[in-house]
Amino acid sequence: MERNEFALQMQNVTKRFPGVLANDRISLDCKKGEVLGLLGENGAGKTTLMNILYGLCQPDSGQILVDGQEAQITSPLKAIQYGIGMVHQHFKLVDSLTALENIILGIPSKKPLLDLAPARARLLKLCEEYELFVDPDTNVWRLPVGQQQWVEILKALYRNAKILVLDEPTSVLTPAESDQLCRAVRRLTDEGRSVIFISHKLREVMEITQRVTIIRDGKLIGTIPTKEATQKKLAQMMVGRPVTLVRKPRPVIDKKEPILVMKDVTVNDDRGIPALKNFNLTIHAGEILGVAGVDGNGQRELAECIVGLRKPSSGTITVRGQQITNVTADPSFIGFIPEDRQKTGLVLDFNVSENLIIKDCKRAPYVKKGILQYPAIKKHARSMIKKFNIKTPSGDVKARTLSGGNQQKVVIARELNPEPVLDIASQPTRGLDMGAVVSVHDTLLDERNRGAAVLFISAELQEVMALSDRIIVLFRGEIMGDLDGGTADVSTIGEMMLGQGSEVGA
Amino acid sequence: MRVQKKPKFIRVPFIGELALSGVRPIIGILLGIIAGGVLIALSGINPFKAYGAMLQGAFGSLQSFSNVLVRSSPLLLGGVGVALGIKAGVWNTGIEGYMYLGAIGAAVVGIPALNLPPVLHIALALIVGMLFAAAWGLIPGFLRAYRGVNEVTTTIMLNYVAIFLTSWLVSEPQPLAEIDSFYPMSKLFQESAQLPILMKGTSLHPGAFIGLAVCILFYFILRYTPFGFQTRMLGINPNAARYSGVNTKQKIMLIIMIGAMMGGLAGAIEVTGLKRRVYMDFVTGVGYESVAVALVAGGNPLAVIAAALFFSALKAGGATMSIQTGVGAPMTSVIIALCVLFVIGVGISERRRLSKAVDKDEPDKVGAAGSKEDPNVI
Repeated sequence: MERNEFALQMQNVTKRFPGVLANDRISLDCKKGEVLGLLGENGAGKTTLMNILYGLCQPDSGQILVDGQEAQITSPLKAIQYGIGMVHQHFKLVDSLTALENIILGIPSKKPLLDLAPARARLLKLCEEYELFVDPDTNVWRLPVGQQQWVEILKALYRNAKILVLDEPTSVLTPAESDQLCRAVRRLTDEGRSVIFISHKLREVMEITQRVTIIRDGKLIGTIPTKEATQKKLAQMMVGRPVTLVRKPRPVIDKKEPILVMKDVTVNDDRGIPALKNFNLTIHAGEILGVAGVDGNGQRELAECIVGLRKPSSGTITVRGQQITNVTADPSFIGFIPEDRQKTGLVLDFNVSENLIIKDCKRAPYVKKGILQYPAIKKHARSMIKKFNIKTPSGDVKARTLSGGNQQKVVIARELNPEPVLDIASQPTRGLDMGAVVSVHDTLLDERNRGAAVLFISAELQEVMALSDRIIVLFRGEIMGDLDGGTADVSTIGEMMLGQGSEVGA
Repeated sequence: MRVQKKPKFIRVPFIGELALSGVRPIIGILLGIIAGGVLIALSGINPFKAYGAMLQGAFGSLQSFSNVLVRSSPLLLGGVGVALGIKAGVWNTGIEGYMYLGAIGAAVVGIPALNLPPVLHIALALIVGMLFAAAWGLIPGFLRAYRGVNEVTTTIMLNYVAIFLTSWLVSEPQPLAEIDSFYPMSKLFQESAQLPILMKGTSLHPGAFIGLAVCILFYFILRYTPFGFQTRMLGINPNAARYSGVNTKQKIMLIIMIGAMMGGLAGAIEVTGLKRRVYMDFVTGVGYESVAVALVAGGNPLAVIAAALFFSALKAGGATMSIQTGVGAPMTSVIIALCVLFVIGVGISERRRLSKAVDKDEPDKVGAAGSKEDPNVI
């Protein structure tokens, strides 16, 4: 092997955040002139890995080799010096500056005054060369998102990036722009530069990359040549759990009262694009409805519109006949385990007992005559800690200090304790270890057996299959199939997840 | 989370952290005083003598201490108004403007003879002052909450509007303005609308005590009421607040308006208790100083009391220091500014240390800020 075959090698990179092992001995390498796909779900550790590469955080252990030489990347400036360019998923541009100004921003200059002329000439040449056309003198906030991305890419190329990292570049692009991007990427690799292409969209990864590295739960699953991969295989590597979950026996529940009814609901995502289109769904009492699908196909919007955090642009949502208009803070009505427990589900700097009542802080017995009753709050915390087996020294410690699984138990205790008629669990097991996963599953199953309607959203196909009475598969905001949980098989669902299945009657 | 960690406490033990958070402003203030002393020494004056004169000027006699209390009144009220905002995650920097509006409100009902008993007339003047200020605070509050406009910009801009509005209102021929005056000012407040003087021979009015009571009240509200609970939650994690059913937009607007009311009360007390009239430009920076007070206090209403008293002692003693030792009068403001800078500075370095020990949730920030951190801390 020639010494310089690899533009980049990352070896055994480990990075730990409190309670989370974000990267566990991950190794990847990227050859010169190669497009390497980095595939993994949200939260799998892709972004952390790339932040390490770009010097935004330091690995706990492991090393990075650039062009065969060990590189100490302690800051983005160092990364740039090593020829690493990064296009973040959320652009890091200064909106009020022009494209050109953004591109030269941060480049040290020996002259006391800015001389934009040579920079402009060089930029225009780059635009020409890679067919990524932007007007250098337009303020960035006036540019369409696609062109903002070109600015980011040109920024990296202007700095002579040999290794270009594109973090979910196509999520903001139109199909035509995506094609343009692909052409530019090919041109880059023809010149011997390397591109790391991060995505969880399988189709694009198949099209553009030569090899794919898959990570899951912070671990390296494997690297395979794209030619030998199929979308199905990649999907399995990306979402599969290492430990098989068994489907637990469950009593048959007769009363099939419809609890959640969604009629012709259309909901927009943050960008204003419909995430759910004319969506119809009914969940009955005593039923776990599993929502399968690759992340980002409308799952988040589905959960948020049911609990009232996101307003549908059309259609009606009712829970037990009652229309949802506002945020439903009554946990005895809807229990909601949000997708991101740390950002949404908990106030990390509040203590455990306070976190257990953030929705009840205006209700007796926690408030009497307008005054918070700390003894009652603490007593409630003690009983919840016992009932849900939350491992914490007491209710007085900050939620931040608990492990992920126990943080999730705090959320579950708050949301499910008053026995709501509808439970919504959005990715409730993400980032949890196996023991914690099983305990979450048992809790949800108990909820079902008690007669609650449960909406269970997960990107982990195996757990959806193990837990659900009924499974719907979401693809681009539409239901690809409505299957019986006991009889559905992996390959059918897998195909539907990729948008290839046909509608199957329930 | 394959590797589960035991619930983990900060390296600096729990009590250590608490102590640190209380010690931080004190260290900052001490550093500020030392730095100020260096500056005084540079100007050729013995800093110990200068500070001695300052202490004497602030605490040397009952009269001088009453002066400290009088000066603390707007700082306490304005400071607690800003502090409430800090707790909720907004920077309500419009105290200066609210004070003018409070003064206008008080003047509107305090100048005409309403034939009310003093208690009622005073209460009316204060309340109308607060209402005027609340209406003023509605503007930045609404813009911040429902339109996403940065509240620092709007409140500071509106301060200027309030200053000019007041100047206009107290200039002839507006009905509130004094006739044939040498300086733009309003007519005198009715006797019945003036706050009583508590100590003969001084200008001690009850403002400081009202301020103290309000600070304690707000501490209690933040700690022991659902309103305060949700306010703190809003400040720490707005996502979680929204998710748990708090109408976050309405709440932000309300918090800014309450802060405005406190500023208005401060202004109304200044004019009914001390000035007896509304003068053009009668507030000169006290509103901004109360932002500094809240900042030094870290948003804690009880700490606001300490910070406000400290600042007003500096200001009251500063005058004596200037007269007795010849240190320039602006030195007081310089020392205040140094204290604020050091308190913030100490806060940042300490947060960085703490974040090294615990808070690695935000890899971007921590990584960018402390790239030389020890990789084995966790």
